[in-house]
Amino acid sequence: MSAPLEGLLELDATLFTVAAGATIIGAVSGGLGCFAYLRRQALVGDVISHAALLGVVGAFVLSWLVTGEGSKSLLVLVPGAIVAGIAALLLARSIQDRTRIKEDASLGVMLAIFFGGGLMMLRWVQRGRPSISGRAGLEDYVFGMAAAMTRDDLAMIGGLGALGVLVLALCWKELKLYTFDPGFAASLGLRTQLVDTLLLALLVLGIVIGLQAVGVVLMIALLVTPASAARQWTSRLPVMVALAALFGAVSGLVGALISATELRVPTGPVVVLVSTLVFVVSILFAPSRGVIARARARGRTRRESLGGGAEGAAS
Amino acid sequence: MNPEPCADAGGDAGAAGAVPALDVVGVTVAYDASPVVWDASLSLAPSRLMAIVGPNGAGKSTLIKACLGILPRIAGRVRVFGEDPRDDPSRVAYVPQRTSVDWDFPATVLDVVLMGTYGRLGWFRRPGAKQRAEVLAALEQVEMEDFADRQIGELSGGQQQRVFLARALVQDADLYLMDEPFSGVDAVTERAIVGLFKSLRDRGKAILAVHHDLATVAEYFDEVTMLSRAVVASGPVGRVFTRDVIEATYGGAIGAVRASGDDGRNEP
Repeated sequence: MSAPLEGLLELDATLFTVAAGATIIGAVSGGLGCFAYLRRQALVGDVISHAALLGVVGAFVLSWLVTGEGSKSLLVLVPGAIVAGIAALLLARSIQDRTRIKEDASLGVMLAIFFGGGLMMLRWVQRGRPSISGRAGLEDYVFGMAAAMTRDDLAMIGGLGALGVLVLALCWKELKLYTFDPGFAASLGLRTQLVDTLLLALLVLGIVIGLQAVGVVLMIALLVTPASAARQWTSRLPVMVALAALFGAVSGLVGALISATELRVPTGPVVVLVSTLVFVVSILFAPSRGVIARARARGRTRRESLGGGAEGAAS
Repeated sequence: MNPEPCADAGGDAGAAGAVPALDVVGVTVAYDASPVVWDASLSLAPSRLMAIVGPNGAGKSTLIKACLGILPRIAGRVRVFGEDPRDDPSRVAYVPQRTSVDWDFPATVLDVVLMGTYGRLGWFRRPGAKQRAEVLAALEQVEMEDFADRQIGELSGGQQQRVFLARALVQDADLYLMDEPFSGVDAVTERAIVGLFKSLRDRGKAILAVHHDLATVAEYFDEVTMLSRAVVASGPVGRVFTRDVIEATYGGAIGAVRASGDDGRNEP
């Protein structure tokens, strides 16, 4: 009698960790994603998240070389993800500065190189001759596995999330001003280079926080889809960020629970399905910006202008 | 930033005649290798309205941005009331081109005009009731007080321009640098903006504005700078705005650069 109960309690504790982590990830990525959306940096975010795979595997191998056992702790892998993501972005920018290759092309090239490199290195780690202990489960970073989240990972996710929210709250005014009108911001004497770096740091934070749970391939969906859905419902930035955080949290929570309770289904695709559902409802049914509302408004205008035309012909 | 109090604030009125509001000497700006603005110099006194006129690609916006320190200049000097504007940006208000921002940004008119108070507030401080009152007063000056809570995405071109002007008014600066303040506005708004310019001038402010309509230069402005990468001529409209100068500005852009470039090189 006591054994099944203990097992159930244990399961609940694991499930709680996963649910809490996925909710925080969704809220933070969704909220921060609004700035990526408004700055049209969806592709930049996608490059950072794909490139992060090389950093994750690299950090894993490095930890194996140093300690003799590969570490899958977020404390080890997240710094690797940050380094690789930013390296890919800086390389893309230096290509843009030195050649006539445009932004999207240079970003696309870097995404392919870093993600391809990451996949190759992951293969080597998994199939390589010296069997690296602790390598099982590293492949979950491609499509995400929220169920693999430990208590330590949750602490790291909570810490990163709190940092992101704090920076967003403290520098709200500067981030908003620079996002809307960078030229005017510079004319006020604002240190725009600093704000730009801050926004990049928040973007990176919003990505790496979810790499384990959602995966490098689909993390962009949690960053951009909730923001796109939220924009449909409101034209106030604070409301948009709050709504995107809510949409992200719901997507993360529901997605993680579905994937964790079913047997080893990757979390990323499930999270994407949930957030896409929110997105589709939003673009269809949102008042004034929604597809249906716009079609109705167009119809009304057409009827009125037809009526006006008839009157004009009669007079 | 140096929070040192302005010691000579009381002497402003006396010094106003002597110190130009804007003094630009030999400013050169280059993207990549080719110069966009070459050795430009101009001087604008307080209580004066100056237009920058020139063909497309003449470097008008670039010159304004270089004056503000937004774009790096590879040569030259800019002084605003005798000081480097980067040391104290609060005396300059900038009105960017209306089309340079995304008007679908989620914000109200009030939100955007409040941005004019951010320079004085500095990091971490939030605008409060005082700033809100300043914004409403500025909106009243551009006859947009009823639009404070309106989404900026719903505004017409002329209303967008008025919002940008209100944002500059809130800054309560002494020098206004404006990039095409009349572009895409209707005749009523254009009249209103000109009226606003003149009332600012009468309060001792100086305005430098990129302008496109040659027909209204003499009516709207006191002075004009004719720019074609290099400054062809700069000074009072009556003296500078002649047929020869206009032809030189719009006719031979490359010739003007060469001539001015040679002058600049021979001088030192």
